[in-house]
Amino acid sequence: MTAPAPRLARLAPTRRRNELLGLGILVVVVIALPFVASPSVLGIAVFAMIFALPAIGLNLLMGLAGQVSLGQAAFFAAGAYAHAILLTRFEIPGPIAAAAGVTAAMLLALLVGVPLLRLHGHHLALATLGLGFIVMILARESDITGRNTGIYGFSRPVVFGVTIDNNALFLWFVAPAVIVAIALAMNLTRSRVGRALSALNDSGIAAESLAVPTFRLRLGVFVLSAGLAGLGGVFYAYHVSLVSPAVSDLHLSVEFLLMAVLGGLGSVWGALLGAVAVEWLGEGLRDIIPALIPGAGGEVQLVGYGLALVVVIIAMPGGVHGFALSVWRWASGLAFRRRGSTQPRTTTQLPTTSPGTSTGAVPTVSAPVPRDEPVLEVLGLTKRYGGVTAVDDVSFTVPAGRIVGLIGPNGAGKTTCFNMISGAISPTAGEVRLLGHQIAARSPHVAAHLGLTRTFQNLQIFTSTDVRGNVYMGRYRLGRAGFLRGLLGLQGVEQRRQHEQADRILDALGLSDVADVAAADLPFGRQRVMEVARALASEPALLLLDEPMAGLSTAERHRLASLLSELRVAGLTTIIVEHDVAQVLALADEVIVLDDGVIISQGSPDHVRHDPAVIAAYLGDGTTDPAVAR
Amino acid sequence: MYALLAVGLIAIYSVRHIVNLAQGEFASLAGLGAVWLISVGLPLVVAVVIAVVSVTATAVLIDRLIIARVRQMTTLTSIILTLGVATLLQALMLLAWGPTARGLPPFPGANVLVGGVSIRSQEFWMLGTLVVVGVGIVLFSERTRLGKAMRAVAEQPIAARIVGISPVLASVVAFGIAGFTGALAGVMSSPLSLSVWSAGLLLALKGFVAAVLGGLVSYRAAMAGGLLLGALESYVAGYLDSGYRDAVAFLILIVILIVRPAGLARRVSGVRV
Repeated sequence: MTAPAPRLARLAPTRRRNELLGLGILVVVVIALPFVASPSVLGIAVFAMIFALPAIGLNLLMGLAGQVSLGQAAFFAAGAYAHAILLTRFEIPGPIAAAAGVTAAMLLALLVGVPLLRLHGHHLALATLGLGFIVMILARESDITGRNTGIYGFSRPVVFGVTIDNNALFLWFVAPAVIVAIALAMNLTRSRVGRALSALNDSGIAAESLAVPTFRLRLGVFVLSAGLAGLGGVFYAYHVSLVSPAVSDLHLSVEFLLMAVLGGLGSVWGALLGAVAVEWLGEGLRDIIPALIPGAGGEVQLVGYGLALVVVIIAMPGGVHGFALSVWRWASGLAFRRRGSTQPRTTTQLPTTSPGTSTGAVPTVSAPVPRDEPVLEVLGLTKRYGGVTAVDDVSFTVPAGRIVGLIGPNGAGKTTCFNMISGAISPTAGEVRLLGHQIAARSPHVAAHLGLTRTFQNLQIFTSTDVRGNVYMGRYRLGRAGFLRGLLGLQGVEQRRQHEQADRILDALGLSDVADVAAADLPFGRQRVMEVARALASEPALLLLDEPMAGLSTAERHRLASLLSELRVAGLTTIIVEHDVAQVLALADEVIVLDDGVIISQGSPDHVRHDPAVIAAYLGDGTTDPAVAR
Repeated sequence: MYALLAVGLIAIYSVRHIVNLAQGEFASLAGLGAVWLISVGLPLVVAVVIAVVSVTATAVLIDRLIIARVRQMTTLTSIILTLGVATLLQALMLLAWGPTARGLPPFPGANVLVGGVSIRSQEFWMLGTLVVVGVGIVLFSERTRLGKAMRAVAEQPIAARIVGISPVLASVVAFGIAGFTGALAGVMSSPLSLSVWSAGLLLALKGFVAAVLGGLVSYRAAMAGGLLLGALESYVAGYLDSGYRDAVAFLILIVILIVRPAGLARRVSGVRV
């Protein structure tokens, strides 16, 4: 079994060294290029550097957050126009105008991002396309932007008394920005925020349940991506000395997209590679096509762009970067075989039965209120769908340090109830108070931040990372580092501590042996355990378990049950929705039985077991329940 | 016109869950193709028929040669892919027929005065086409075996395959419908709004909004959405400088997308976990 390399594996020291090495090589190339390259190559290099900025932005947006934007040129144009207008109309000094250009792009992104990012998938992509059109039309029609002629006639930038007036100097002018952008983007990718973005790309609801404010992070990366596009626009304005509606053209958006895709999504270096490749391709096509087809001119390189997009998606979905990686793997595999080794390439053997060695240490839980004080209060919770009332006026209180079981026949409203408590759906009426805070009808991350976390009946694992990465995400709630620290890479200490904690929890739940296995390759039962580990990693005050026993073997059920009992001793409060009634009655301190959306019985397991209403509900449903009969 | 494009988008979306950004190119392609056929001496009717048929075939070829080749189709890849196809088609049109916008000669018929407002005969042709195609597509989807099978593929692809419905056939038919309706929209509107190589994405976007108004599933609601969008647009256009017209149209589109992502007919449903 070949485990695909997790996209965001834990940072190995060699990886960091490789990144620094890559940046070093780039610096050397940039310094040397003007001395060795022909003028035309130099020209391509300058444009590649300029366009690499929006491409890096787009790459972060698509690779990290999984959002496609077809309007990247809009932000490029915003930066270019703002810069040019400030320079020509108001004669503002270059650096300030440049900063204003970037700010303008980011402000635009913030402004449109707030409404737009409520959309997902196709809708979002098409909405950004619409945005691109609007900006293009505004640029063409408005007097401020100089209509079709655009804005021209501003002076060249001057750095340390040197006027940047040729390609060589301009390359040195723009390259530092690109190098810094690459470094920042790489930092962000492996930061707390970057990992959270990647996680929410895998499963939005799971990320929310671990206190990841998904909307804010998506908006953040959207604005950041726009800022990079705006910076590209500023450099473009300087270089070309003319800002015309061409900078807002839709085909430019397509070009940026091609750069990001060609290079490989999720790889920051890919964006630079893609920019170089596209510029080179465009330049080449501009020469070749008119030679082949007489009379063709203008935007003929579009043929190449369209073709390249199609070919890349079909033939190498990982882009050039991914393609190079797989060639490398294939080549090293070949070398392996030649040496006559019969060892399989992947060394990780997946244990099918699960006993990993557990240290027996119970994970830390947080107990913000003393035992028996209420952690969760549910008051009059009601959910109606049209005329159907799924949950009707349900009220109960969960005291700290207890395990409360929520059971009931199929369709009783257990899951609806559960989802309203966790924030996945908002109630029609009623209140949910967690530690005194109202959490009903608010995003799940709000409740999660207060210490409520959950697992999922249909597993929601982060498939782009390994088991350790999944559990690490549970630590999100307890981290602090935001976008800025992520970009600057100033969170090493915090990251290391979080990783140590994650390892401790892996140990406690007997998952250490598979810590480096891609989460998607884990057997089902252990994925479930991993979800519990992930939830526990956030040191919750209240843990909601949605059918945790489903799909587990008997041995695994017993292990999970004893873990939950141990955690109760440690002070954890748990609500468990479960079909396995026997298991719930054996484990819970208190059981709530729902039928047809109302509570029909509530109390100790013994009380519930003998309650005639419960027996009737289960028997009347046609399900003979062994536990009740027992 | 938007209504026809929306029908094509829905046909593909409902079977493959792809928003075909190249939908508008079918219209441009058919329009420009027909213009060219007339310029080489063919009569209008023949030119239109040939254009529509060949664009339909092109759409099916695009499905078989390009779309169906991708093994792992995600939203991201589908958007990039169809955008690539759209760009490619645009560029080919530019190469073949140059950058100028051209229109077909108007279809025969006299303009009619209704309540003092002159309605051009071409608009009757467009409306007539929409009615015929609309009734046809609804009947096809709800009455015929194949139509029902396609809806089954849309809802439960695996189950549909188990009971013996071929996803390949469904996909081919879907792209055929998309090419056909797109091409019709292109030739019908060409005498009025001209055909130009670069207009496709814009048309696809407007068609998409019409489709969204219909919740991306219902042909009827999408056609109503298309008509509504067209009416809204010409209403707004009356108050504005023509240059900004499209900008406002897109603003409306974005607002619709945000306010009604699930369409006018359906309520936004709750999250199922």
